[in-house]
Amino acid sequence: MAEIVAAALTSHAPLITGKPDIARPEQRERLYAGFHELGRRLAAARPELIVMFVNDHLQNFPYSNLPAFCIGLADEYDAPSAGGGTFMRIPPRKLRGDRDVALALLEAGLEAGFDFAYSYEIESWDELSVPLHFLTPNGDVPIVPVYTNCAAPPLPRLRRCHEMGAFVGAFLRGNARVRRVALVASGGISHWVGTPETGRINPEWDQRVLDHIARADIEPLLKLTHAEIERDGGNGGQEIRNWVALLGAVPGWKGEPLAYEPVAEWITGCATVWVHP
Amino acid sequence: MTPAVSYPLNKVLTAVARQHAMKPALTDEDLVGHTLSDAERAALKTGDIDALYRLGANPYLIRRVFRARFKI
Repeated sequence: MAEIVAAALTSHAPLITGKPDIARPEQRERLYAGFHELGRRLAAARPELIVMFVNDHLQNFPYSNLPAFCIGLADEYDAPSAGGGTFMRIPPRKLRGDRDVALALLEAGLEAGFDFAYSYEIESWDELSVPLHFLTPNGDVPIVPVYTNCAAPPLPRLRRCHEMGAFVGAFLRGNARVRRVALVASGGISHWVGTPETGRINPEWDQRVLDHIARADIEPLLKLTHAEIERDGGNGGQEIRNWVALLGAVPGWKGEPLAYEPVAEWITGCATVWVHP
Repeated sequence: MTPAVSYPLNKVLTAVARQHAMKPALTDEDLVGHTLSDAERAALKTGDIDALYRLGANPYLIRRVFRARFKI
């Protein structure tokens, strides 16, 4: 049976790596230090597999086909592709998938009433590429991504995301294919992207989210509506669904924020959080 | 409440975004084969990001394609 040996929450934004020079140096270095510390702890936990709770940005799932939840069944993932890498200034690379585990998760989900979609080909954007650039620089740990629609409303409720994550956690703990699994969720915290308010960040809301996670007091987050998140966290804030899903997989675990920086130049309230029992 | 969505607008923008192309405005050539209203066509051809948002383009796609139009 598998053990969840590590869990981490991070923000993602293409500018974190794409334009490091435009951020204030002290903010950039504090955030990078948070990412590097997460990477150090993750490596020390020696995971055989990383399950990633992430979201697409209409790169893979367009309006003609938009799953609420989708499991990646690919043998490998562009993280990033050559095209995306140019913008994010990350060298293109392929990350191995683990189809055996992903397929077993998909089948178990369908059996249990979680009607996941699935995809054999995913081109990641910043949701995988940016955090894994810091967390697994060698790209030597296979991944299974679980995508949640956070970008094209209507979106799944946060409580359902939490339930989905709880299912994934229970599945992994009962899975004999791997022994040591890490969980990483990326997205958020507040940011307004592509809207007339682009560039706005709400540090107070971000702090509230982080405080709830630090106390393992998740219930108030599960009650947030789409409209409330849109008002206080922006359209980018909807990505906390990924964080909530991960927290569902590790009930009672608490978050230790390693870095929080509202980086105006990257238009994102950026955080790195270690999650532990 | 679900915001207004224009499927034709998002279809055009997705096609451009998937080429990893960023443009200040789209051209007639970009719009060939797409059925768009006059207002949608005008917003795409002038890169009017506020109008695109009002007309139901997804903000992530607006940002991706018309990056140069944003102040930040």
